[in-house]
This record gives sequence, C-alpha cells and structure tokens, in this order.
Amino acid sequence: MVGNTSQTIVVAGGSLAGHTVVAELDRHGFTGDVVWVRGPEGTAPYSRPALSKELIRGRVTDEAIRLPAPREYGLRLRIMDLAVCARLDPDADRVLVTPAAEAGRETGGEWIPFDALFVCTGMRARLPKGFAGLPGVHCLRTLADAGRIRERLAGRPRAVVVGAGLVGSEMAASLRSCGLPVELVDQGRLPMEPVFGAELGRFSLERHHAHGVTTRMPATVTGLSAAGPEGPVSLTFDDGQETTAGLVILGLGAVTACDWLDGGGLDLSDGLACDAALRTARPNVLAAGDVANWRNPVFGERMRVEHWSNASAQARHAVGSWLAGQEGREPPAFADVPYFWSDQYGLKYQMVGHARGHDEVRVEEAGGEGYPFVTYLKDGRIVAAAGVNAPRAVMRMKARIQSEGTTTQGVHA
Amino acid sequence: MKLTVDRTLCDGNGVCMGIAPDVFDVDDDLVLHIADEIPGDPVVHAQIRQAVTSCPVLALTLEE
Ligand SMILES: Cc1cc2nc3c(=O)[nH]c(=O)nc-3n(C[C@H](O)[C@H](O)[C@H](O)COP(=O)(O)OP(=O)(O)OC[C@H]3O[C@@H](n4cnc5c(N)ncnc54)[C@H](O)[C@@H]3O)c2cc1C
Ligand code: SF4
Repeated sequence: MVGNTSQTIVVAGGSLAGHTVVAELDRHGFTGDVVWVRGPEGTAPYSRPALSKELIRGRVTDEAIRLPAPREYGLRLRIMDLAVCARLDPDADRVLVTPAAEAGRETGGEWIPFDALFVCTGMRARLPKGFAGLPGVHCLRTLADAGRIRERLAGRPRAVVVGAGLVGSEMAASLRSCGLPVELVDQGRLPMEPVFGAELGRFSLERHHAHGVTTRMPATVTGLSAAGPEGPVSLTFDDGQETTAGLVILGLGAVTACDWLDGGGLDLSDGLACDAALRTARPNVLAAGDVANWRNPVFGERMRVEHWSNASAQARHAVGSWLAGQEGREPPAFADVPYFWSDQYGLKYQMVGHARGHDEVRVEEAGGEGYPFVTYLKDGRIVAAAGVNAPRAVMRMKARIQSEGTTTQGVHA
Repeated sequence: MKLTVDRTLCDGNGVCMGIAPDVFDVDDDLVLHIADEIPGDPVVHAQIRQAVTSCPVLALTLEE
C-alpha cells in the first residue's frame, strides 16, 4: 500500500502509457484517488501497432486488440472518457478537464486538484491544412481512423500512400495484401531511409516492387482534391504530374499532443521535457510515452521515442520515480535502449538503439535468410542496430548497447 | 508462475524478448520459445509481468 487516502493522482491519456500508469498504481496498492482522463477517442485502451497490421487486414476485431485490464481495479478510480485535459494551472497543482469537443474553448469543465499528474497524451497524426477532411483521404493514428479506412476497402480501390515512413510503408504492404493496387510516394529517395538508412531503405524498396507496389520517389504532393464523397481523389506532384486514387493514406508522421500544457510553466520545445527520472520542471508532473522528452543516460542525450515498448517501460518508471519522491528517495534514471519492430510482407524489421547522429554504418548479413543487418556507430561506439527476421542478432545488440552505454555514461547522469 | 503463449496470436515481434531476454527468445523463423525454468529472481518476475501487459497482440497469459 502506498500513498494516502487524501491524495489525488491525475493520469492524462488513455493509451499504453496512461493504461500502464494506472495498472502500476493499482499494483502498488495506491490508496488515494485516481482520475484517469482518457482523451477524445472514447474507446478503452487498445493496441495501436495492430491498426496498420492485423486490424487493417481484417485479421482481428476491434475487441481483440483491447489492452488487458483487470475486471475491477483495486483503486478508487474515476475514468473520464471523451474528456481531455485542457489546461494546467501555472500557479496551483490543478488541471482543467473539459468534454473533448470543447477542448481549447475553455468554457465549463472542471478544475481537478492533484498531488501528481502523469502526462501520457502521446501524439496525433500530422495533417497539413487543406489535406484534412477530404473524402477518401485518411491518416492512421486511431481505431476510428482504421475503421474509416476499412470501410473504403471493399471494391479494392487504387490506393496512394503518401509518406513512406514506418506507418506509410506498413500501410502500403497491408493494403497490397488486401488486394488493392498501391502506389507509395515519398519526398525521399527510399522508404524509411531517415529511420534505417540507405541499405535497409533499398531492401524495403525492392520488397515493395516485388509485391507489385509502384513507387514515386522522390516526389512531393502539392495538391489534393476530391470529386465528391464517393468520387476519386486527384493528387498533383511538384513535377507537375497527376494521378487519381480511390483511397489516399497520409503517413506524414505525428506531432506531440502537449499543446494543452502551454502556459503551465513547462518546457514544450520537443514534447514535454523531463529529467532523467521522467519528472518535469514541476516535480509532481511526470511524463511517459511518445510525449516524453528525457535525458537517456545510455546515450548521454535527450530524446523522445515514438515506439510501443518505450511507452510501457516509461510508465512503470515514472510511477516508480513519483513513489521514490514520496519516500524521500532519489529516483533512478530511465536508462533504456529503445526498441521497435515493423511488419511488411511477412517480414519483421527490428531496430534497437538510437541512430541519430551516427557517423558510421556497418552492413553484414544475419538471420536465417541472410538479409542485411546494419549496425550504426557514433565515435566508434555502437549506438543502434537493425535487421530483418533476425531477432536474436538484434536483441544481442540491445544488451550490448545497454551495457556499454551504462558503463560509459553512468546511470545516475 | 505459469506463463503461456497463444501461438495463433503471437507474431514474433519480440517485445517480450526485449523486456525479459532470459525468459523469452524469438528465433529467426519468428517462433517464440519460453524458458522451461523461470528464474526465481523478483526482477525477472517484474519483467515478465511487464512483458505480459506489453505484448501488442495480447498473446501472453500469466497465472501467478
Ligand atoms: C498505425 C501505427 C502503428 C504503429 N506501429 C508500431 C510498431 O509496429 N512498433 C512500435 O514499436 N510502435 C508502433 N507504433 C507507435 C506506438 O503505437 C506508440 O509509441 C504508442 O501508442 C505510444 O503510446 P502513448 O500512450 O505514449 O501515446 P498514444 O498512443 O499517442 O496515446 C495518447 C492518448 O492520449 C489521449 N490524449 C491526447 N490528448 C489528450 C488530452 N489533452 N487529455 C487527455 N487525453 C489526451 C489520446 O486520445 C490517446 O488515447 C505505431 C503507431 C501507429 C499510429
Ligand atoms: S510480445 Fe507477444 S507477439 Fe511479441 S513475441 Fe512476445 S508473445 Fe509474441
């Protein structure tokens, strides 16, 4: 049992990070009140990675991807769905919670005082103005987005996927396996090149072509227009060319959802800035997941990680940091080697570490099929590794980066 | 601690292996192997719980 019955914890965000914070408070037997503001989606937490994989391909139902929750929490828990945290008081420990549709307008709502606030509001899809709201044009961040895309799949329309990052590349592969003709467009030369570099980018391009996906790279979309609700979407490109599609997926990345903290006295320059233990400049405000920018001692750098495993690990850690503070202990740093995977055409791309700023790349072969296996070095030290269908080799690198990073940087950095 | 995996769901994404490498091992055919003997170490038990709740396809079940 931890905490005391007069304390209130507010958890902002109803996805993996928020869900894990609540589960951790439950596991520790927190005796105060927990107010869980789950955000605008109006759904119980679910597996976001499944959206562009199993769910789009119709392999699983919406219910099958709900995150496991106890039938009953031992907590004094108030769940607020279709509600958002709209403001943090700069002078007092309280947040304004409003109905989702009212967000930003600041009429009504309820100020909730807190002893701790966990910010787990993640990210939302990046949607350039003028691209949003057109019929047949969709981004993919939420279950609702996935539902809208699935409604368009009957009749197998021609699909154009704009943006060949992780989500765009996965969507091209998933839509192709649903039988749609697919074109994949990116400003860069190769899919996922900013993530994996040229070697795996080229490998991925070959895979798309082998499966019949056409690519247009480098190309920039300069215009989008729709001919009515059911009609095709026209796309124009920077070189003057045009094409039409029955379905356009915008995979243009995501932006952090922490604008609601503006004016709350916190550093929001890239997500929500935290110390190494995931506490912000207001020590009873902590962050976890896609939104959290912290100093990772394994790399001696600030970073923000937009991947699944990170959100659950940080959520646990943030709860631990707050509890340590309650007991007057100095919490440990969150020293972690990021990990993610991506599924495309039955292949598993996996990456560990933090490749930004690397100055050397080594390419070998690994795994059963001998696909390319890339290690990324900075100042002679391995900082990241990526492979295809080579989980053992990738995970060996994770352990190595973790232990070498921890020795060189020290965990209490 | 009894740990089971639903193989119809597991796609070998290695999230569990990243969290608890002493317990979970995904081979190059993307098949998950769970250690026969689960170490008694409480740190490993915490990792296992985290792995179970983090599995993105909800394939793991733990009976404590
Ligand atoms: C299509 C897709 C596929 C992906 N595939 C992979 C993958 O294969 N591997 C991988 O490692 N990662 C993948 N990811 C990334 C992974 O899903 C994220 O890292 C993870 O969801 C982050 O969890 P989070 O809880 O930090 O934030 P989010 O999942 O972004 O959740 C934030 C939550 O906060 C809510 N919210 C927003 N604003 C407010 C507010 N003001 N008040 C209250 N609540 C609010 C939102 O509605 C949402 O519920 C994928 C992401 C997408 C979109
Ligand atoms: S996390 Fe789940 S899906 Fe991934 S390898 Fe482990 S059991 Fe399988």
